[in-house]
Amino acid sequence: MDPECSRLLPALCAVLADPRQPMTDDTCLEKLLDWFKTVTETESSLLLLQENPCLVELLSQALKFQDVSSRILSFSLRLAGIFAAQENCFQFLQQGELLLGLFGEAGPLGLPAWNVPSVRSGWIQGLCSLAKHPSAEQFLVDCGAVDTIFSLQEDSSLFVASAASQLLVQVLSLSIQGRATPQLGSSDGDWPSCAQSIVGYLEESLRSGATPQITQALKVLTTTFGRCHHSWTEALWMRLSPLVTCLLEKDTVPTAHSLADLFLSMARSPTFGSSDCDLWVTLAQTLSCLSPTQAGPLALGILKLHVCPQALKTQAFDVLLQPLACVLEAAAQVPGSSGLPDGTGSNPTMADALLASTSSCAALLCQSLAHLGELQALPHSPRPWPQVLLLEATMMTLRFCSGSAVPISSVGGRLCGILASCIRVQRAALDFLGMLSQGTGACEVSSSVMSHTPHPSSVPLHVLSGWDSADPWVPCFPEAQACTFPAGTWKFLGWGCWGVHPLASVPGPQESVTQVFAILLEYLRSPESSPTVLKKAFQATLRWLLSMSKACGSNNPDPHTQPFLRELFPVMQKRLCNPCWEVRDSALEFLTHLTTHWGGQPDFREALLASDVPELTQQLLQDPEAYVRASAVTAMGQLASQGLHATPSGPEHPGAKQKSLPQELLHILSLDSEGFPRRAVMQVFTQWLQDGHPAMAEDLEQFMARVFQVVSRDLDWEVRVQGLELARVFLAQTLGPPDCPYAVALPAATPPTSPAEVLRTLGRVQLLEFAFRALFDCDRPVAQKSCDLLLLLRARTAPGGGLQGAECNPEAVTVEAALRAWQAGEQGQPLGELVPEVVVAILRALDLEGLQATLAESSDHVEQSPRSLLQDMLAAVGALGGHEADCY
Amino acid sequence: AATLTPTPRAGAGQDVGRSCILVSVAGKNVMLDCGMHMGFNDDRRFPDFSYITQNGRLTDFLDCVIISHFHLDHCGALPYFSEMVGYDGPIYMTPPTQAICPILLEDYRKIAVDKKGEANFFTSQMIKDCMKKVVAVHLHQTVQVDDELEIKAYYAGHVLGAAMFQIKVGSESVVYTGDYNMTPDRHLGAAWIDRCRPNLLITESTYATTIRDSKRCRERDFLKKVHETVERGGKVLIPVFALGRAQELCILLETFWERMNLKAPIYFSTGLTEKANHYYKLFITWTNQKIRKTFVQRNMFEFKHIKAFDRAFADNPGPMVVFATPGMLHAGQSLQIFRKWAGNEKNMVIMPGYCVQGTVGHKILSGQRKLEMEGRQVLEVKMQVEYMSFSAHADAKGIMQLIGQAEPEHVLLVHGEAKKMEFLKQKIEQEFRVNCYMPANGETVTLPTSPSIPVGISLGLLKREMAQGMLPDAKRPRLLQGTLIMKDSNFRLVSSEQALKELGLAEHQLRFTCRVHLHDARKEQETVMRVYSHLKSILKDHCVQHLPDGSVTVESILIQAAAHSEDPGTKVLLVSWTYQDEELGSYLTSLLKKGLPQAPS
Repeated sequence: MDPECSRLLPALCAVLADPRQPMTDDTCLEKLLDWFKTVTETESSLLLLQENPCLVELLSQALKFQDVSSRILSFSLRLAGIFAAQENCFQFLQQGELLLGLFGEAGPLGLPAWNVPSVRSGWIQGLCSLAKHPSAEQFLVDCGAVDTIFSLQEDSSLFVASAASQLLVQVLSLSIQGRATPQLGSSDGDWPSCAQSIVGYLEESLRSGATPQITQALKVLTTTFGRCHHSWTEALWMRLSPLVTCLLEKDTVPTAHSLADLFLSMARSPTFGSSDCDLWVTLAQTLSCLSPTQAGPLALGILKLHVCPQALKTQAFDVLLQPLACVLEAAAQVPGSSGLPDGTGSNPTMADALLASTSSCAALLCQSLAHLGELQALPHSPRPWPQVLLLEATMMTLRFCSGSAVPISSVGGRLCGILASCIRVQRAALDFLGMLSQGTGACEVSSSVMSHTPHPSSVPLHVLSGWDSADPWVPCFPEAQACTFPAGTWKFLGWGCWGVHPLASVPGPQESVTQVFAILLEYLRSPESSPTVLKKAFQATLRWLLSMSKACGSNNPDPHTQPFLRELFPVMQKRLCNPCWEVRDSALEFLTHLTTHWGGQPDFREALLASDVPELTQQLLQDPEAYVRASAVTAMGQLASQGLHATPSGPEHPGAKQKSLPQELLHILSLDSEGFPRRAVMQVFTQWLQDGHPAMAEDLEQFMARVFQVVSRDLDWEVRVQGLELARVFLAQTLGPPDCPYAVALPAATPPTSPAEVLRTLGRVQLLEFAFRALFDCDRPVAQKSCDLLLLLRARTAPGGGLQGAECNPEAVTVEAALRAWQAGEQGQPLGELVPEVVVAILRALDLEGLQATLAESSDHVEQSPRSLLQDMLAAVGALGGHEADCY
Repeated sequence: AATLTPTPRAGAGQDVGRSCILVSVAGKNVMLDCGMHMGFNDDRRFPDFSYITQNGRLTDFLDCVIISHFHLDHCGALPYFSEMVGYDGPIYMTPPTQAICPILLEDYRKIAVDKKGEANFFTSQMIKDCMKKVVAVHLHQTVQVDDELEIKAYYAGHVLGAAMFQIKVGSESVVYTGDYNMTPDRHLGAAWIDRCRPNLLITESTYATTIRDSKRCRERDFLKKVHETVERGGKVLIPVFALGRAQELCILLETFWERMNLKAPIYFSTGLTEKANHYYKLFITWTNQKIRKTFVQRNMFEFKHIKAFDRAFADNPGPMVVFATPGMLHAGQSLQIFRKWAGNEKNMVIMPGYCVQGTVGHKILSGQRKLEMEGRQVLEVKMQVEYMSFSAHADAKGIMQLIGQAEPEHVLLVHGEAKKMEFLKQKIEQEFRVNCYMPANGETVTLPTSPSIPVGISLGLLKREMAQGMLPDAKRPRLLQGTLIMKDSNFRLVSSEQALKELGLAEHQLRFTCRVHLHDARKEQETVMRVYSHLKSILKDHCVQHLPDGSVTVESILIQAAAHSEDPGTKVLLVSWTYQDEELGSYLTSLLKKGLPQAPS
């Protein structure tokens, strides 16, 4: 422990122990505990207590419960636990009966303070820290703590109950692992007494029939099986499994969520996952008896397992597919054709849940879509993956939501009514539609494969599932068949209007892709689409375009993209003029991505330049909303990189005196009142410089000088950091590639620039002035960046035997004086033109390594240090009372 | 039932806490505020959302998030929650909060990253993406979150755009006040709510026992101190957060400078004045009546005396007033100026808000005058240090006034200190005769409600009721029997015949049977006759029959007599009846159990 802290500790302990001294800032006590935890990680707690007897006195003071505030009591309980985590210190505290006094029955349990949740929480956390060694177990039994832990399982405070549950698991594990019990059986005698009482408590809770008790017991088991993977957990399960599984026999499973968590935790445990126990049967049973909403998370959990029987995975996958299957069925059903009343389809429970209300329908569909999306992203997603079915169902859902579907069946009609304009489902479906772009590649499909498309009116689920994500259009027909769906297809009746033909075939991939783009365009175009839905539609569109382009390769243009782009840009034009900033911004972000990926493709360029999108983007540089201006800057930067931006004075604007884009961006950098656009400008400049953009090439030095001049005065430190990044790129380019002893000696195109010439260039562009000034910036990241930059500069221009410095030069003295003034936070004079020798002298004189080490620490590390904490707590004692409670 | 789970939120006393309350109303889950704790630099600064994620996917579990106002202890964790924890649903707030919230979040992010380049913190892009999920709610506009859940905003004072929210599902409702102020101040009006009679009112109780002195006094005091310092040639530093309190103090100084014709410059350091003023102008309807009225002649937010600050100005000689960020002197501009000016006793720093431990602001407020700086350097603070609270919360009187306005069934106190809350709780319970709760962080309060569920009655059933001759009387409740059918979330009461028909079910007869022992040595037939005569004399309005097979019937009730197998002096009466005559059957049984009247011998 820092001697200064040790010196302050007695005074602080006296303050904490004094009931007359109010201590109102809880964060101080929390931070104090953090510090003690850190100290005891590396030092002996026993030594610490012996060297600082005030700590023991503080803990003893806490035993005088009547005099101690609940905060200090809670603090003392936790502190005692931290010290007692080391066995010798535990013995030491035990000798003084301190621990028994704090945690035993004579402790705070019977006092009014026990009603304060933080005291109960402190008691548990203290024991959690303490219960780490065999002596602790005996202590827990002796002081009767286990019964208290039982009673806290159902505490009114969520935090206390949760911590009590964790503690119970810890004690159980400590109790069993602490002794060499060869075999644990079902008889009570086999179990250590402490473990036996915990198991007894769990049995009693599971038998109680009361949902809170059962839930809490299941949570304890879930944590146990999640944390402990020893063979005793299997023995524990053998004892408790009858009680747990009988919960499934009730009409409605009361604790479905907790049960699912328990079984999944077991399935993930190596103890159960590989054994022959009945876990898989139980999981299958659970899946079938839970309601559709409850079964979803369990099904997802099962499908994420690495080890699991295939039949169970198939069952789980069916659960996730059911809601979408119902959507398809509802869409395709000819009234009465299925023979079921109202045509509810193959799973009446699911259909009932879907049709019950908008809320339940949305909840089920969103859950299913999100779970399937999660699965699709997994490396071991279920195979076969029903790509076609999912695409169809997702598009159908989107059509129901937008009202563009023309349902034929009554169920379809009802679903249409329920889902109409449901933003929640629209968002989830668009998300999933975007994900489905993975695994759909139109170009990979040959017409011969398409002729194998099945053609039934009612196709079994597993037949439809027979489309592998790796090869999505090759059908396969596994033998397992669980339930059936009528497969419908959608005939294209023009953009945005669809009709269903139940007896038609599943669409082919080309058709599917066309349909996907059509539905995306419908959403992007619809005035009804909310900003959040539009954002999702943009994201999904981007994913599909990327996927198409990936599948086809750059030399093989995708047949869908070009017509789609022709339709897309007029829609984009509208969206760029949308009154909602969210929409304009999302459209600009989308445009930037598009241009980055396809800016070089002739089709894309043609479609873009045929639209007003570049002009509109340029106009958005003056948008009232800063976010939009920043996105417009980025988009314009990208367009210009690809030579796609509007020309300053085109034939349509004869004589118009427009600035060039770099000038316009420089203007934004100088005058925009907000940081986002200015930061975006700096990013664009850096990108242009890196790419060698022609706009930067003309009179580069003059332009850079202007930029560095402006950016060094910016009020936003992030803009200044971006400025230094630009400076770093400029420096690297000016210096040329570093000398590498292992590099193949190729004849250099241009001879390397001399260090003196480099320094002169840097001086001319004002980079040196900017970097030296930034070195003492009040915002630490700026100083840090500048320090790195100057270290690089010094390494390349002023290494040991390089350019001679001019340490005694009067100019160097002036510069050093200016730097000192800056360091002191004064404004100082500009450095003016610097000769290379002076720069080298300054670079050598500055302790850049020392500065780098200092800057690596947080700027408030002094205020956040333990010493500062102790000082603050002591100082606060006198100052309290003057400042009333005040938040904002 | 409405259940409330307040997850970690504002603690007691001087704790700039994390307001975050989870309310379940009739199965709908709503998160009220999503604040951050500025006193911590690690995960503890955000609420522990793992208690919610245990319930499955956040977006599935939560129906919406509502933000009451732009202070960080109410909205600071929002980008973390939506972009890092993964909530993808709607977020509701008023238009001014929507406009100002990202500025403060950005401001805070910059300070957090500035200090040590924190990696595990939300980015600017995340703040923007989070704000794109926001749906604006206008005052008194009822927004339908889905087909069952609706919310409505009321004016709360406190800060620009602050609102109280009513959350309603069917007939059940909760009102959450957020932070509010019942007395108008220099730029805002007083909070107001209609008599909406919610099942529960969740109210802040920061000043639960305080009757606040007039804000005017504090303002006068502030102006006096600034004026005195400037007069003696000193410099005044006012560390502020970018928006909110700063604007209020700017108006104060601007008016004072105008009135006193002062010449000392006033600067605002962040370059945010323009933006702030833009928003204050834009949302002029959210300010108080005086500002709205004078708006036509002169816009209060167009400052003549307050100029943008340049770093070079700090070294200028002579008096000046500078507003600089951040507000707790823990980084950046304000700290740099403080270091420059601290050594001069003519200067003054005014802290207009609370400072958390671990900041220079906290140190000087607790009276420390020798501050350790980097590299073991010591900064001696000779300048004057003043603390002035300008926070605008309702005091005890204001809280009582709001409860009186809303007339809730239950009250729940949050955002306060336990001891003070206890006092207020008793006062509320006494005065309004309602239950008042004050759960600690993490505690759940469950309140039973009596929701009214509309039920349709079939015409057939009503006609049959009418046919029985009794006209309906509004003052006298009447028993109506029928079958309740629940279908497609609708409830209908129909006659049992119609229910059978609709559901395609067959009717089953259900009879209750009972044995009554009678001491009677006579033959069975004679006992039956005695029963018949007895019932005939008592049940004059009912049809009592003696059937040829020796049994007696009263409506559907059948009575037969048999000899007792062991005791010839006792007869056993078998009584049975259908459920329709349950009342009469029970009555008859109890009658027979009393025995028969003595027959004339």
